[in-house]
Amino acid sequence: MSQAIIECKDLKKEYLLGSTKVEALKGVSFTITEGEFSAIAGPSGSGKSTILNMIGCIDHPSSGDVIIKGTNVGGLNDKELTRYRRHTVSFIFQSFNLIPVLNVYENIELPLLLEKRFTQEERHQKVMRFVEEVGLADRLKNKPGELSGGQRQRVAIARALVTGPLVVLADEPTANLDSDTGIKIIELMKSINKNDGTTFIFSTHDAHIMDQARRVIKIRDGLIIGDEVKQEGRQVAGSREV
Amino acid sequence: MLTFMIALRSLRRRKGRMILIGSLVVLGTVIIVFGTTFSQSAKVFSKASIIENFTGDFILYSQRSRELPSPFAFQTPLPLIEKADQVEAWLAKQPQVASFSSIAQNYGLISLQKDGISYELPFIFYAVQAEAYRAMLGKVKMSSGTWFGEGSAQVQPGILISEYQNQQYKQKYGVTIAAGDKVTLLSLTGGGSVNALPSDVVGIFDPQFYKNVFNYINFMDIGTYAQLFNFTGVTALPENFNQALAASSDDDIFALADDDMLGSLNTDLLEKAELTGYTMIAVRLAQGVSTEAFAQTLAAAGFPIKLARWDEASGFFASVADILQGVILGATLLIFLIVVFILMNTQIINVLERTGEVGTYRAIGADKSFVRSLFLWESVILNVAAASIGMIISLVLIISFSGGISLPEIMSQYLVGGGQLRLQLSIMPFVLGLALVLLVSLLATLYPIRVATKVSPLAAMSAK
Repeated sequence: MSQAIIECKDLKKEYLLGSTKVEALKGVSFTITEGEFSAIAGPSGSGKSTILNMIGCIDHPSSGDVIIKGTNVGGLNDKELTRYRRHTVSFIFQSFNLIPVLNVYENIELPLLLEKRFTQEERHQKVMRFVEEVGLADRLKNKPGELSGGQRQRVAIARALVTGPLVVLADEPTANLDSDTGIKIIELMKSINKNDGTTFIFSTHDAHIMDQARRVIKIRDGLIIGDEVKQEGRQVAGSREV
Repeated sequence: MLTFMIALRSLRRRKGRMILIGSLVVLGTVIIVFGTTFSQSAKVFSKASIIENFTGDFILYSQRSRELPSPFAFQTPLPLIEKADQVEAWLAKQPQVASFSSIAQNYGLISLQKDGISYELPFIFYAVQAEAYRAMLGKVKMSSGTWFGEGSAQVQPGILISEYQNQQYKQKYGVTIAAGDKVTLLSLTGGGSVNALPSDVVGIFDPQFYKNVFNYINFMDIGTYAQLFNFTGVTALPENFNQALAASSDDDIFALADDDMLGSLNTDLLEKAELTGYTMIAVRLAQGVSTEAFAQTLAAAGFPIKLARWDEASGFFASVADILQGVILGATLLIFLIVVFILMNTQIINVLERTGEVGTYRAIGADKSFVRSLFLWESVILNVAAASIGMIISLVLIISFSGGISLPEIMSQYLVGGGQLRLQLSIMPFVLGLALVLLVSLLATLYPIRVATKVSPLAAMSAK
């Protein structure tokens, strides 16, 4: 049985919008096990990005705990959180977030350079492995501005994977792509998940993309309203509607 | 080097804005480097000009004087130097002394008749030993006549009048003096009497340096001066003369009457003294001799005189180059202050525009020092590159003007005493320029860096 690597316990998030208090999360709890390919699904403003941000250590819950591999990240300081983002979790962003002045190779190599423990040769091997995996070997010298949306997201996927993180978080990774490209990107993520066992959690509001996930956590108005696990596209026993 | 590389490329990506800021830094650098070179060269030339035209390395003056001497000022008459002839004799024997020239500053009247009209013209003058002064300090161009008969066997006594002074006479009194004119010089002596002495106008001159001073100063040979102001005599009368003069009772006077020698004066017994009336002695030291070292030797000699260094004796004129340097530094600091604010403002906009990018760095594992280093490099690269361009431009300008810059006459006279200013290449202005630019970079980047390091990784989510 796969090991639980992420536990979210009664996550709540409140913030002020002007003078109005907004409850983005109203008490969300779930567990992610190693090797999952899960979607957090829901309409805009439902709180799915907020959940990813908390798991990704870039936002804090107002209350509740995020426990990654046994560590409650709520108690970590800025340096420790940075280290977590460098080693443990990786992000794929909706807007790709590539560094515009770096080419494809350099963008993918950047997290390895930040980690500072790899030799040039090691970095090269890792970068080339993922460049091949995302199919951009012929685009190494291109800057992000010279790539299509799909290609940029492939670079972002390679960048997220290159350090070998425990979990890859993707915030609406297909939102800025056309449907076909979106499907291809999700299929790419899925194949990496299948081949390497990397855990993926992505948020989406697109039903077609949702279908690709093996587990779908449905969220609305800051609450989980469903959590279903599928086997090769079928809903399986044990899934539930909340 | 990762941050250096990203910073460099980020700057290239924002070329337009960076060229604008860089241009300001280039301008500031040119002003500081060229300006400092200019003022330093002016200082060197000013010093040389003052030493070679007015003061020598220092001026000796009476110990009784409460004021510093100045060849430039006539407001306060200086006390006469006591035993000036002995001081001169001592100076002549000192191997550290290259040359010296004694000067008496005074004023009088020139009385002359032209076309049946009498004129009495005021004039201030230096009374000088013609040859010594001419050789050491007297760099004037003779318009007519000669420098006290220069080139002939003997000094031609009389006075020299400056061209400017002559023009003033024409404007105010309607008369012009010419070389060869016979005049009568009038003086008010220390004893309160008025002396008159027939004399000649030996020449008309045009000062070549510090015209703003020397246009108003004329010259008189020391022999004429001594006669005009009663500075000739003996050191002491015979003892019996002194007793007679000191007699306080009738008995004493009658006792002296028995002295056969009283009433006759044996001039052979009189010790002649040169009572020159000098108020200043300008001294040039031999190469390598310091004024401080010579001052100790002088103090040991025990003369009742004091020493004023060239810069003390030249007052305002010695500080003109310093004032200019201050103005240049002030202007530069003002420009750099503006640059600091523009740079800071631009950097803050830069950070705000790039919050998504900064957030991305943080989200993928960059710590705050990475962000700090990135923005610091951007500032340093931009400023050092701009400063380098500024320095190259300055270097070209300095080399171009090393043959001499023609300054406006009034500026040239006050700054370097007249003539062209040749710029002298020196490393210091370049070091100063670079140091200032680096300081500006640092100051202008501190706050933007603070803003950048406070960008949350969450900002990556809002990146477009």
